Amino acid sequence: MEVMKEVLDKEVVDRDGREMGRVDGILLDYQTGQPPRLKALLIGPTALGDRLHPRLGGFVRALEKRFGLDRDRPAQIDFAEIKDFEHKVRLRIRIGETAVEAVEQRLRALWLRLPGSR
Amino acid sequence: MRKIFNLALGVVTSIGGFVEAGSISTSVQAGAEFRFSLLWAVAAATLILAALTEMAGRAAAVGKRSMAAAVRERFGFHFQMVPLGAELVIDLLLLTAELGGAAIAVKLLTGVGFQWWVLPLAMIAWLLLWFGSFSVIEDGVGLLGVVTLSFVVAVWRLHPDPGPIVQGFVPSLPGQDLVRYAFLAISIVGATVSPYLLNFYSSGTIEEKLTQEDLWINRLTAFLGMGFGGVVSIGCLVTAAIVFGPHHVKVETYEQAAQMFVPVYGRWGVALFALSLGVGCFGAAVEIALNAGYTFGQAFGWTWGIDKKRRDVSRFVAAFTVVLLLAAAIATTGLDPLMITQISVALTVVIMPLVVLPFLVIMNEAEHVGAHTSGPVGNGLLAVLTILGALMALVVIPLEILGG
Repeated sequence: MEVMKEVLDKEVVDRDGREMGRVDGILLDYQTGQPPRLKALLIGPTALGDRLHPRLGGFVRALEKRFGLDRDRPAQIDFAEIKDFEHKVRLRIRIGETAVEAVEQRLRALWLRLPGSR
Repeated sequence: MRKIFNLALGVVTSIGGFVEAGSISTSVQAGAEFRFSLLWAVAAATLILAALTEMAGRAAAVGKRSMAAAVRERFGFHFQMVPLGAELVIDLLLLTAELGGAAIAVKLLTGVGFQWWVLPLAMIAWLLLWFGSFSVIEDGVGLLGVVTLSFVVAVWRLHPDPGPIVQGFVPSLPGQDLVRYAFLAISIVGATVSPYLLNFYSSGTIEEKLTQEDLWINRLTAFLGMGFGGVVSIGCLVTAAIVFGPHHVKVETYEQAAQMFVPVYGRWGVALFALSLGVGCFGAAVEIALNAGYTFGQAFGWTWGIDKKRRDVSRFVAAFTVVLLLAAAIATTGLDPLMITQISVALTVVIMPLVVLPFLVIMNEAEHVGAHTSGPVGNGLLAVLTILGALMALVVIPLEILGG
């Protein structure tokens, strides 16, 4: 549980140091008779919404679905992929292996139509 | 040499960034209604702002985190929602007020209704944010802001008796209108210590890549820059006190306020006031919009930065674009910009503890600022002042609304 406090809300970077967002939620694995086990990090506004209120999470989820941005979101990153979490949470994977950039990419397509975006 | 140049530039741009809708309107009203007796409030507010911006810059230079990022990491997202939400509401109101103020300035110069100028001005602000780098935005807007020194020159040209002015720096109670006096004192603090300035300043420290070795630059820029900015506000108050004070004028519009330059600068007076107001408000509008991008980006962990390619910071660009559009839409409805300014600066004092107290906690922790923590005396004083200010605001604002 101490680890949970330690990583929640921290900045996450991929193996190349690219910013992936913040730890918006944590997925726990409950097995009867055993203490809960940390399963995965969650990155994405739905996880953040769920933390405040399930309804808000549901609203964000509906919004993502409406814009076709709900695939593999929020991104679930297995705890085994964490390299270290001293200053930031460093992962062993690349950002491209997850869906954390879906909104960024959608907006990028929009901005790329304007001069001066490159 | 380069560092000295940067320092000078930082100081000059702070003067430009200091003067905007809030500081001009509150100083003019205070001077017109209470002559010099609220000068102490301007001086105190300036000191508080300088102390806070110095801390914001120090935390960013040492911890490499801006304020919004540090607050989320230290207190978690649940807690952060409160100051973040409050700050965003105030920022939106203030941005609306600045766009409105800049539009009124163009109206003073052209005679064409202010609502027509809001969208074009918002568009120019957006283009500056879209094409500009941090130094173009910061230095360009800041250098233009030198025109606001006309408030200081005005005092010099009016040759006032220094005695009563000096007395104004000693806090005193007025013989009448205590509620109005307290309301204006609170508004002066709210107009000066804008929450957006703190996050903007800490983000700027990261954009300019200042490090621990540059802490002296940060300290000098904060105190000299904000100090000179305060001098401009004082100039504004003193000019209003000399021109409007004897006639007991209550200034309720910017058009009325512009008249204060007529006895000083003659037929150029209104135009010069309009330029000072316009440049001050426009510069603040650009900074507030940019800060919205910073705040969202840092709180949610998006890639952010005005010096990065726009395609690499799409959500950050979307954030400042949406906030600018929202504020422009509200300002275009024709709501009185001066009224919006008054509401936002008064509310700023109410929410101040929410923004300042978590920040002071961070400034005390070695994890965030290394060996550069703030002393307990300064921190304690700032904490007490913000809490007292908020409590006073909670009493005075309803009284002012009921009475006014």
